[in-house]
Amino acid sequence: MLTKEFKTPSDEGLKKVKRLTEVFVMEPEPQVGQTPKEVVWTKNKAKLYRYQPAVKKTNKVPILMIYALINKPYILDLYPGNSLIEHLTNKGHDVYLLDWGVPGYEDRHMKFDDYIVDYIPQAIKKVLRKSQAKEITLLGYCIGGTMSAIFTALNPQLPIRNLLLLTSPIDFTDAGLFTKWLDKRYFQLDKLVDTLGNIPFEMIDFGNKLLSPISTTYGPYVSIVDRVEDDNFVLNWKLMQKWLNDGVPFPGEAYRQWIREFYQENKLIKDELVIRGEKVKLSNIKANLLNISATRDNIALPNQVAPLNDKVSSENKTYHSVETGHISVVVGRKAIKEIHPYIENWITENSY
Amino acid sequence: MGQNTTLDPFKIWKEVYEKTESTWRGTIENSLGTEQFAQGLGQVQNQYVQYQELVKTLTESYLKQANIPSIEELAKVASMIVNVDTKIDNLDDFIYEQQETTSLEIAQLKQDITNVEQKLDQLIEILKNKD
Repeated sequence: MLTKEFKTPSDEGLKKVKRLTEVFVMEPEPQVGQTPKEVVWTKNKAKLYRYQPAVKKTNKVPILMIYALINKPYILDLYPGNSLIEHLTNKGHDVYLLDWGVPGYEDRHMKFDDYIVDYIPQAIKKVLRKSQAKEITLLGYCIGGTMSAIFTALNPQLPIRNLLLLTSPIDFTDAGLFTKWLDKRYFQLDKLVDTLGNIPFEMIDFGNKLLSPISTTYGPYVSIVDRVEDDNFVLNWKLMQKWLNDGVPFPGEAYRQWIREFYQENKLIKDELVIRGEKVKLSNIKANLLNISATRDNIALPNQVAPLNDKVSSENKTYHSVETGHISVVVGRKAIKEIHPYIENWITENSY
Repeated sequence: MGQNTTLDPFKIWKEVYEKTESTWRGTIENSLGTEQFAQGLGQVQNQYVQYQELVKTLTESYLKQANIPSIEELAKVASMIVNVDTKIDNLDDFIYEQQETTSLEIAQLKQDITNVEQKLDQLIEILKNKD
């Protein structure tokens, strides 16, 4: 008590420096992806995980999560109590995740066609067999959602009961600053892919950070210095920094296709996209659809997400907008309190 | 009094950040959205790619002379492994489907044999009765 009375601001400052040193130098990184899982199937670098296999599954329709080709999928299972996968499995859902893994130089020729035609159908087959189920729920996040929508459109005969998309861009008419930066006249797409093979994570990350350079470069450090004595804040900060800096390279040909056919030519929404010789018609989607966008998302803008609902033939379709950013749609306080339960309820309601 | 005037560098840093961010945000956003910026970005990319290409060519020729495999050659071996992996996966799938079909056929055969046995029993019974 006595020491508290005589405490000076410089003492506080020293305490802060000590704590910051602990946070940055001494303490280990937090453990991520802690929900128990088993590997059900592997192909090349991809792995299909089944979560909490020992927990009783009360929902008959298994969920297959399709992740994006950038960053790592543990954002969906970030930390106990802050995990969409944990939330769903605790509620009795049979959750699977298709993790694309880290592409090597030998994977630089991989295209969306390969992932959509050679990997996703196999993963679905394995999920249906393992769960002994007749139907499936596809849940795609970011580019994974775009891929899930394309896959569902190409395979209306498959038993995809529900399609749930999280911040997945479909219409690239106005992709904000990306539309300007990726202008065909200036962006050196072919040279980049031909020279580098795969596009390094740092380059993708640079592009994302450039959307808001000061707040993404200095903002996190200002906030950690400001709130370093709040243990819960420090834990969440470390989790996010770990994930944000733990990216994977974008397979070269898939990147070429993503920038040219999606950002520059906007083929998907115009029904002009061709995947392994077959035209993708979004109107072929008949599954129940939940399409979620985030108002503060500057990577997949709401106006890029929303138009899907007008294109599909689904009788049961919902567009849901949440007041979050691209990542806080799956992690963080709002996601835990509102979005995870909302997703869980929608899946449960549409699985009987 | 003395306590209040003590310098807090963290507080100053935070204030500088907040003021810079709020003052420059609009200006930065505006310049990021200009065609000149996109053009400049393209030029930087061009130079970066040219540099990378030069480094790649030099490294590859050095590795070739030193008789050390390049990433290109290692990737060829990796691709072969990936192909084998794909073939094993296809085989695994084929075996599973065959097993499923075989199990169904065996179950059908068992049923047929049981039916034949029942018919034979009935036949034996009829023959016995005739005797």
